[in-house]
Amino acid sequence: MTDTTDSTGTDWRRVGLYAVLVLLVVFYLLPLWTGLMTSIKIDALSTAPFLPPAPSGFTAIHWTRAAHALAGGLVNSLILAIPGTILSALLGSMAAYGLTTLEWRYQIPVLVLFIAGIFIPYQAVLIPVSKFWAVYLPLGQYGAAVGIPKWLGDLTGLIITHVAYGIPICTLLFRTYYKDFSDEMVEAARLDGATTHRIYRRIILPLSVPMFAVTLIYQFTQIWNDLLFALVIVGPGKGAPVTVPLAQLGASLSDVGFGIRMAGAFVAALPTIIVYVLFGDQFAEGVST
Amino acid sequence: MATLELDSITKHFDDDGKTIVAVDDASIDIDDGEFLVLVGPSGCGKSTTLRMIAGLETITNGELRIGDRRVNEAKPRDRDIAMVFQSYALYPHMTVRENMSFGLEESTDLSNDEIAERVESATDTMGINDLLDRKPSELSGGQQQRVALGRAIVREPEVFLMDEPLSNLDAKLRAQMRTELQRLQEDLDTTTVYVTHDQTEAMTMGDRIAILNDGVLQQVATPLEAYHTPANQFVAGFIGEPSMNFFDVDLEGETVVGGGLDYPVSGDVRATLTTDSLVLGIRPQDIELVDAVESGRDVAVTVDVVEPMGDESNVYLSLPDTREGETFIANVDGRTPVEAGDDVVARIPEEAVHFFDRQTGEALRNREFEGDADVDLSL
Amino acid sequence: MREKLATLARTLFRRRRARTDGGEATANPSGGFLSDQFVSSLPYWLPAFLIMGLAVYGAIFWNFLLSLTDFQQFGNPDYGHLDLGMYAKAFGDQVFLGALQNTFALLVSFTLCCLVVGLLIAILVDQKIRYENTFRTIYLLPMALSFVVTAQFWLWMYNKQNGVVNIILGAFGLGPYEWIGNPALVLGAVVFALIWQFSGYAMVVYLAGLRAIPTEQFEAARVDGATTLRMYWRVIIPQLKGATISASVVLMVFALKAFDFLYSLSGSYYPPKVGHPRDDDGPAGVQRRPPRVRGGDRHHAVRARARHHRTLSRLPIPGR
Repeated sequence: MTDTTDSTGTDWRRVGLYAVLVLLVVFYLLPLWTGLMTSIKIDALSTAPFLPPAPSGFTAIHWTRAAHALAGGLVNSLILAIPGTILSALLGSMAAYGLTTLEWRYQIPVLVLFIAGIFIPYQAVLIPVSKFWAVYLPLGQYGAAVGIPKWLGDLTGLIITHVAYGIPICTLLFRTYYKDFSDEMVEAARLDGATTHRIYRRIILPLSVPMFAVTLIYQFTQIWNDLLFALVIVGPGKGAPVTVPLAQLGASLSDVGFGIRMAGAFVAALPTIIVYVLFGDQFAEGVST
Repeated sequence: MATLELDSITKHFDDDGKTIVAVDDASIDIDDGEFLVLVGPSGCGKSTTLRMIAGLETITNGELRIGDRRVNEAKPRDRDIAMVFQSYALYPHMTVRENMSFGLEESTDLSNDEIAERVESATDTMGINDLLDRKPSELSGGQQQRVALGRAIVREPEVFLMDEPLSNLDAKLRAQMRTELQRLQEDLDTTTVYVTHDQTEAMTMGDRIAILNDGVLQQVATPLEAYHTPANQFVAGFIGEPSMNFFDVDLEGETVVGGGLDYPVSGDVRATLTTDSLVLGIRPQDIELVDAVESGRDVAVTVDVVEPMGDESNVYLSLPDTREGETFIANVDGRTPVEAGDDVVARIPEEAVHFFDRQTGEALRNREFEGDADVDLSL
Repeated sequence: MREKLATLARTLFRRRRARTDGGEATANPSGGFLSDQFVSSLPYWLPAFLIMGLAVYGAIFWNFLLSLTDFQQFGNPDYGHLDLGMYAKAFGDQVFLGALQNTFALLVSFTLCCLVVGLLIAILVDQKIRYENTFRTIYLLPMALSFVVTAQFWLWMYNKQNGVVNIILGAFGLGPYEWIGNPALVLGAVVFALIWQFSGYAMVVYLAGLRAIPTEQFEAARVDGATTLRMYWRVIIPQLKGATISASVVLMVFALKAFDFLYSLSGSYYPPKVGHPRDDDGPAGVQRRPPRVRGGDRHHAVRARARHHRTLSRLPIPGR
């Protein structure tokens, strides 16, 4: 992976540079690697945590158990994250269009209200949010009354919550992107006779595809990884997203539980890791804007 | 085809409570099929004027008419105009064909076949048939420019608006496109308003030019009228390259004195001067370098710098008794043997001299010129 | 932070200049057709605004209102008696004050360390290295993971007998330490793990900042005879102000959301036992009840948060 020689021969500065970079790779991957090794050992303590198991000590039992324990959670997380992600990205894009590309007098204060929403720690709204869904709009109970399973109703509440709190960051991401669009291009479209709606549909939306990729990845990771709202709004049980059972997985087994915990961590993280490895570059570019 | 009338058009911008006048009471009547160039330095309000015609800015005061129809309140799409932008403003995700069809799809009820036909004929005109399926990012600057023009002509509008459309091209291509645009406009015979800060473009392309400064319209005239009979000192200095030389002078008896000059003025000319406090203007092209002082209108000068440009040279001259660096320019034949440091004599012919009121800048006396566009003046 | 936000807001909302050929006028859209713009913009931003406004501002207001009551999680709050009693109680509570202090320490040390580590790595990655994308992807990978997941990994890393951290330290004759259980060490351990997770983010932001600086400046500094170190210190780093501001804002937001991480770390401290709701709970409503309560009671997380106020040696996240 490293290229330590130059065309002129060994350049020690470059050697040092790559050595540091590789050490950093070790640093960033070590916890993951250790986890992976532990997850395939029968006895977590049979070898040093970061060494692979002896051939006889290999097992897939932790993975199958973790997958079994988390399967329901994974499905719930997908039901949660996919619509939640798409909705917040779409609403964010529309809001950014209405507040950036279209210009009107007091849009800046409105935008400030949107952006400030990014900085709300979830803890600050936890009690109102939980009370709102429990007392004022118990979707789970409404659903149950018409024959929809209660957990699905609760999950819908969680989706709406994530959409609501995801709108600010999505709006900001699209706003930064749309701000760089040429005004002249939008004016040209207007002179070409396109209405506000047609400009969005035919010019802005097709040009937003790269930003949608970034926003979708970002929001997907955020929603998938959330534990706090999941605990409060859905709680452990049938509708729980994968983070909830994961936090409990193997907890009662003390040290012996590390194998299944590590396996569980990987199972739960797999979708985000896949998304990340596939779209890592856009992700990197997206977060840096 | 239509006339375009700007009737006392005014634009105010509101900047934190302060009002900024971007365009002040501008009135221009543009004939059907005319090519009018709006020219002026940066910030003079020419783009704002164009954007008001397009409907991209509101009009604070005054009336705008396209073919006798008041369009102040009309939306851009209802004004029957097409605009070419400085950045071309092509839609990056659409092919050339889609770019050109877009306006027809949005603003007309033409069938797809009719649209395709009009696009083909416009691309024929612009010579970009082989680019139809490319995206803007795959085109060179000149090609993008042609697509932008094609996108405007395919609409067959009443009025073309162009906002510095050539300023992103390199010098050679710009000169070429200048001619092509002119020819195109003549062929289509569509009323055109063209904004530029480049006085060469203004001179060479416009049927008439409108010169703006600080939001105020200075003069609307044919290029040659503006060159030879500028309405005021600003126009005189803005049109022409190199700029006209100016000397602050005072009328003392039969001569004007100042800026190192002591220049006799004949009775006819004096009769036109309504004030004593004047600015004398002389174009570099009108100054001759001669061997010896033969009259009071020949002045002994020292050559400061020579800028040879091949066919001609700009010679920077300094008068005796003036401050270091205070020079004026003579534009002479490139083969004239002068060098920095030479002592030479500059002849300032009276028939080429302009006088301006130093307070108001108004032209009191312009060089002799038959206001006839046919006159061939070798500049 | 407010000042930083103001700067951020200024850069974000720098007002669009009116086109007056480079003139100075600032456009304040007004009048006929532009108010049309307002009307036609409504369908785009208003729905999002209502949802977001209700969730963010409605909830904050409600939360504030609740904080003025003597509401104790069960039954309905009595809005008839609003006072600052709970705030007085909170600021008189040693546990809460300690928690506040710890939160602040975590916020500051985490943000600063992340910025420094991120900047150093960004400078290394910016040396025209091969496989740059691979390195960048690996450094950023932990950020894609859930707090719950990373907490699992770090629990194992920090394990007293068999954790990798203690094994490595053991090689130098140090330890073993009980990282998570020891009040003196836990803050540092958590900050370290969070740096592992988010320094890659700071790196990416700084890298973009470095790339935005024209190469001529690096070359000019070199021609001026500056050493690499002085070049970065005097020419390059001062220009990364914008990147620093935006990175630190986002890092602070992450730090404030680190509840999940702490909750999951502390997750190993029960098998849950059924406890009793206590009446003198203090503002956060400290209770000892397991989270596996079913049914209409939805306040386990509130209690959960309170729980690790204790179990985690007072290292919580600010409640409100």
